[in-house]
Amino acid sequence: MSLHIPIAARIQSLAGTLAMVAVSTLVGLWLAPRWGTGPVDMIYLPAVLAAAALWGIGPGVVAGIAAALAYNFFFTEPFHTLRMDRVTDVVTVVVLLIVALVTSRLAAGIREQARLAAAHAARNATIAGFAGRLLSSSTEEEITGTACEALHTLFDCNAIVVTGLPEPMLVAEVPTGNRLTPSDLAAAAVTLESGQSAGRGTPRIQPAEWQFHAVSSKGSVIAAVGLARDDGVPPVDQDQLPLLANLLDQLALALERARAEADRREVTALRDRDRLRSALLSSVGHDLRTPLTAIIAAAAELRQAKAEDGELVGTIESEAAKLERYISNLLDMARIEAGAVKLKTEPVDLVDAVAAALKDLRAGLGNREVTIDLPASLPLVEADPQLLHHCLINLVDNAARYTGEGAVRISGAISRGGVRLSVEDDGPGLPQEQERALDAFMRIEGSDRKGGAGLGLAIVKAFAEAMGASVTASNRPAGRGAAFILRFPSALVVKAAEPVDAG
Amino acid sequence: MPARPPKVLVVDDEPQIRTLLKATLARAGYSIVEASNAREALASKSIDKPDLVLLDLGLPDRDGLELVGPLAAEPRAAVLVISARDQTEQKVAALDLGADDYVTKPFDTEELLARVRASLRQRLVSEAERQVVDAGDVSIDLLERMVRRRGSEVHVTPKEWDLLAELAKHPGRVLTHEMLLRSVWGPAHVGQTEYLRVAIRSLRQKLEGEPSQPRLIVNEPGVGYRLIAA
Repeated sequence: MSLHIPIAARIQSLAGTLAMVAVSTLVGLWLAPRWGTGPVDMIYLPAVLAAAALWGIGPGVVAGIAAALAYNFFFTEPFHTLRMDRVTDVVTVVVLLIVALVTSRLAAGIREQARLAAAHAARNATIAGFAGRLLSSSTEEEITGTACEALHTLFDCNAIVVTGLPEPMLVAEVPTGNRLTPSDLAAAAVTLESGQSAGRGTPRIQPAEWQFHAVSSKGSVIAAVGLARDDGVPPVDQDQLPLLANLLDQLALALERARAEADRREVTALRDRDRLRSALLSSVGHDLRTPLTAIIAAAAELRQAKAEDGELVGTIESEAAKLERYISNLLDMARIEAGAVKLKTEPVDLVDAVAAALKDLRAGLGNREVTIDLPASLPLVEADPQLLHHCLINLVDNAARYTGEGAVRISGAISRGGVRLSVEDDGPGLPQEQERALDAFMRIEGSDRKGGAGLGLAIVKAFAEAMGASVTASNRPAGRGAAFILRFPSALVVKAAEPVDAG
Repeated sequence: MPARPPKVLVVDDEPQIRTLLKATLARAGYSIVEASNAREALASKSIDKPDLVLLDLGLPDRDGLELVGPLAAEPRAAVLVISARDQTEQKVAALDLGADDYVTKPFDTEELLARVRASLRQRLVSEAERQVVDAGDVSIDLLERMVRRRGSEVHVTPKEWDLLAELAKHPGRVLTHEMLLRSVWGPAHVGQTEYLRVAIRSLRQKLEGEPSQPRLIVNEPGVGYRLIAA
């Protein structure tokens, strides 16, 4: 360490050393006539101690040698020569030299410890300051910016943060205006992928101008920090690596915290949006249905009062019922799109489900013939009664719409271990191919003049699938008409219930 | 039987719906009082002492469900809830809280009047007085514990009888799956809807003209069953 002391400081310490020896000699010359030359050797001890303690081993030894020479020259016989006749004088000179050596070693050790302590304190202060600044930054941008700022100051180099694979992107830099070369990007990618340092001054991708270090949390790399000096020297000394590692750990923690916070905010925002959406849906439903309720009830009163043409009143009633079904379908579709369909299943008797659908549809069915064939042996199925209700309403409504003057047939059967419920009409059947996927049918028929069918069938499909059932459409094998088949797989079939009772 | 016509309290915040309900109920001979919010409804309950309350659950000042209990409390009034079609849970909750029945919006006025009649009948005739309940060509004799179809006795199992009797004690009114399971099979079996389905199916086989198109015992999807009394 002392080898690195600048020239000026060295000259200064040498001059000081020699001055102290000279002063000691003068004091000795003044004392010697009075006390004799005996104690004079002690006069030099403070000078040697002071030089060694203040300036280290070099000046200490110089002080020791100069003191020995001066003592020999002025105070040992023969005086004013450098010859030494007495053993005690030789011992004095040697002791002075040893004192110089030992003292300077001790002093140098203490100074080194002080320097280390100061460096340690400075590092701790740096880390603490960094932690504080990171804590006061809340977003990822602020955190990476703060980190670059701190690294730039601490290591006196340019600092950047990159994220993203396979193509790393610059997310923060101090100072600005950096452009990464292909080898820099390759080094960044290596660090982001492997978590190991890469780039200049490391064993990996040495041609890169930057040196990259991983910012990792819980074993995964979340970013890479790049450091580079304008003069091309590797930016971090070996002994600074622990400090850098500590700073990167803090950066990782801060980023992790920011991401968790961002996630939490996003979840809250999503929940708020969902709440708003369902509030909106129910209020739209309410707002649309209230006038409809009034129209339907008013028509019923007109019919009772027989004040108007019965046919016209019938039109009002059936059209209002249609409108109500469209509104239901729109709201159902909005629920499906919003992912807000909640399943609440229970064992359902298809007899109940079909009867309820027909009851709700009676205004729309007019006097069309509806035949129902549901054998008493048909097992119960596990279904959401409300979703099934909407499925059946749409299937029967669709069949009634296409069957014209014909009939609608609803039948149930056990098939392949499951239960199938088919709704058939006498209409023109499905266009082109015999068998079609329901969604293809919906695309073609969605723009059909009869309208509304597309939405209704889309709801049937979505609700059926939500319950674990499926829907297919086909043309009936015997003659005209289409058949829509709702299939409940065997997993949804309720196994025979316990005997109701013994009697 | 009171000499005066039964008094119906209509609670709805939409004036046009109140107007129509008033017209429908007046035609059927009821006397009507109205309220547009929860506060007015509770005031009317204590002042007008209605026999039946027609309660829309969507009120501006309070959740309609909170009113079911207070409105049904002494002096007893039948509570008929008006609810949106897809709000099954709300209907079940209202019935659990003591509502007698519900109608769904948009409602059929004839159906509404039938529900009003059924709920009022329930209030006027005590269970002990009711001996025979007729539903279509089926007559259920609650005292004799006997069911006849077109005059001849139909054999039903004890559980089927319990179920039929429970429905017959509240003719025209919906009874939730849970209520039926609790009273017929006991509180331990309230989740076993399949018991109920199987028993209903068996009763239909014995009593309905066309068991796959039931007319006597009808289901309200996700809610419960009602016996359509003649």
